Amino acid sequence: MSEIKISRRVLIGSMAYLVTACALPTSEIKSIQLQKVKLDGQYFNAQQLTLLTDVAEIMIPKTNTPGATDANVIAVLDAMMLTWAGKKTKQQFNFCINQISQIAKNTFSAYYTEITLSDRRALIEQLDANSFAQTDTELSASYRKLKKIIFHIFYTSEEANPDFILVPGGYKGSLTKTELDEINKRGYLG
Amino acid sequence: MSQVYDVIVVGSGITGGWAAKEFCEKGFKTLVIERGRNVEHRGSEYTDMQAPWEIQNRNLLEESLEEEDRYSNIRGKGYFKKATQQFFTDDKEHPISYPEDKPFKWVRSYQLGGRSVTWGRQVLRWGPKDFEANAKDGHGVPWPIGYDDLAPWYDYVESFIGVSANKDGLDVLPDGVFQKPWEMSAAEKVISQNLKKKYTDRHLIIGRAANITEPTQEQMELGRGKCQARSYCKRGCSFGGYFSSLSATLPAAKRTGNLDLVTDAIVYSVDYDETTGKAKGVTVIDTNTKEKRSYQARVVFLCASALASIQILLNSKSKTFPNGIANSSGTVGHYIMDHFTGVIANGDVPGVEDKYGYGRRPIATYIPNYRHEQKDGVDFIRGYGYQATAQQRSNTGTHAQKIGIGAEVKDNSNQPSNWRFLALMYGEMLPYFENHARLHPTKKDQWGIPLLHIDAELKQNERNMIKQASVDIKEILEVGGCQDIKINETPEDQHIQIGDRIHEMGGACMGDDPKVSVLNKWSQSHDVPNLFVTDGACMSSCATQNPSLTYMAITARAADYAAKLLASNTL
Ligand SMILES: Cc1cc2nc3c(=O)[nH]c(=O)nc-3n(C[C@H](O)[C@H](O)[C@H](O)COP(=O)(O)OP(=O)(O)OC[C@H]3O[C@@H](n4cnc5c(N)ncnc54)[C@H](O)[C@@H]3O)c2cc1C
Repeated sequence: MSEIKISRRVLIGSMAYLVTACALPTSEIKSIQLQKVKLDGQYFNAQQLTLLTDVAEIMIPKTNTPGATDANVIAVLDAMMLTWAGKKTKQQFNFCINQISQIAKNTFSAYYTEITLSDRRALIEQLDANSFAQTDTELSASYRKLKKIIFHIFYTSEEANPDFILVPGGYKGSLTKTELDEINKRGYLG
Repeated sequence: MSQVYDVIVVGSGITGGWAAKEFCEKGFKTLVIERGRNVEHRGSEYTDMQAPWEIQNRNLLEESLEEEDRYSNIRGKGYFKKATQQFFTDDKEHPISYPEDKPFKWVRSYQLGGRSVTWGRQVLRWGPKDFEANAKDGHGVPWPIGYDDLAPWYDYVESFIGVSANKDGLDVLPDGVFQKPWEMSAAEKVISQNLKKKYTDRHLIIGRAANITEPTQEQMELGRGKCQARSYCKRGCSFGGYFSSLSATLPAAKRTGNLDLVTDAIVYSVDYDETTGKAKGVTVIDTNTKEKRSYQARVVFLCASALASIQILLNSKSKTFPNGIANSSGTVGHYIMDHFTGVIANGDVPGVEDKYGYGRRPIATYIPNYRHEQKDGVDFIRGYGYQATAQQRSNTGTHAQKIGIGAEVKDNSNQPSNWRFLALMYGEMLPYFENHARLHPTKKDQWGIPLLHIDAELKQNERNMIKQASVDIKEILEVGGCQDIKINETPEDQHIQIGDRIHEMGGACMGDDPKVSVLNKWSQSHDVPNLFVTDGACMSSCATQNPSLTYMAITARAADYAAKLLASNTL
């Protein structure tokens, strides 16, 4: 069993609701490479969190750089469902999760969490393609909204911004790549 | 606080902070009254030390704001995010009124420091021609002052606030007391140099920022340090790197021991003494208890921001002034202006692909107005400039809102791409008498104060400017060396919201003639000698430059004049 720790920073979005740091306990189903979340979150239940964690990781997988799971994307989303999401978004995300489960059942005659990683990937890729090809359906709108927030949370995470410098100390507008890399390494203009 | 103050200053924003500092430093007991809450400089409301992943909701605003139609006038604006929300006012809680077909936008920051906390810090002097425009073409009320009257006060203000800028030597945008300028990016330099080769009148210069690059002794004594190029200014700055009332003028006023500060108190009216013919003080409504109380002073300075000061003037009714204090001319509330945009242009800048930017420069570049004279057969008067930028090269972005997921998409995201230059027109709106603000006859806010009804729109002169600005900027970008140029021009039949540029001004214009103006050349009421209005309300025209530096210079000058009258007991 591995634990996806929610760091204190992850909690910022939900301070009002969480008193102590919590974790999304998961166990890996090795045969199908799925991280199964074992406990309910603050908004989503364990099953929903399992599906979402998987979908986020398919969208933004770990490569030689961190992926969505490393960046705690779904743990943050779960918290933000209480502090950010409006009624419509909540409905849309629930709808989207149900629809993904339904598509899995219709296509593979199995629960989403039982099919292989390549099938899950194929499913989400297809859903992505369809959602941008035909934008006027409820599923398209819900999926695109979910994708947008998953990407937003990932790309504003510490893991996705290793070069972020909070206090640059100055501005330079005409650097070579080598000069820029040196400054970034130093972490300050100097 | 039952004493009679020397001076009451209404509002603690950019102009109120200045009035407070000037009077306190000259030894006058000064009361600043602010309708908003207290905000501590470097206090818990500043969010500037939060990295993107530390900001609540990852800097997204709660969706409930949209569901409840709150902050409707600024939702979606780049400056309005979770990290800055606390510094902007909810128009649902603080409504205004306007004709249905002419929505007006009044962007406010009701708190100690006002919009000095949230402003963009572009500080540009007006040139001689800007003050001459009304007299020259007959629109509005002729200015009773010229550039020379304000020049020493610009120097004075710039020295204190700290302005990082280049001495460009342009008549239309006089140079001042500057600290080291910000650097232009490689792309901006290309455009600037190309423009120099072809034009004598169109220049791309680095913006002039109220962000300090070489702190003076005085600035350091106030606890201000060098700007760190984070460009998180609107979240408050723990370094005191940019000028705000909180970082600069209010601390300067406080350290004299002459300042009293009252927050959470809305000035409802200026109280007029029928026997002396002067203002005796103000009546306020406590925002929390809704109780009324009064304060007295020998002089009242209205610095509540243009529209708020107009509202106070109109609301201050007496036997002598049944239509509002200082309104014998009947012009209080008239000549409402703002800058306007109607053209956004952008284009790639080739030839600098091997160059990169570092840091977040707190200011854009600028193309000053080059159309003061009516030439090239154009069908409008006055002119426009452009706020512009290419401070960082763009990147490829993510696939958050387009097709594609997975490893390949991730690897190609946020990679450096081309340098792209963006320019936004800022036009001068003529002072039209019929563009006005008045008290709504029936609608009131939660404190029982009549709402301001603002009825203002652009007219044909401004629409003609937009057309020409669109033609001009295309040429400027071409001459600058840009490619793949895109121009977005607002169609003539589309309402452009006045107030959107947040440079709303006018309504209590300065002028020599008391029959057609509210204030004299000292920003002093023609009618009520101990009443001054030194915020944007006093402006007789709006030029094209961001106005706050001029408001500050006018305030410091007026305070100096009033102080002399106070000292000689002639008020
Ligand atoms: C996002 C943004 C960007 C901007 N960029 C620039 C820029 O780059 N350059 C520039 O020159 N200008 C800029 N401005 C405009 C600038 O902020 C204003 O011109 C300036 O703040 C006006 O100063 P002021 O003192 O008149 O009003 P404010 O700074 O708005 O202060 C008025 C104060 O009075 C208080 N008040 C109002 N009514 C009452 C009342 N009845 N009783 C008591 N108190 C009252 C308010 O709460 C407030 O604190 C920008 C503004 C914003 C919001």
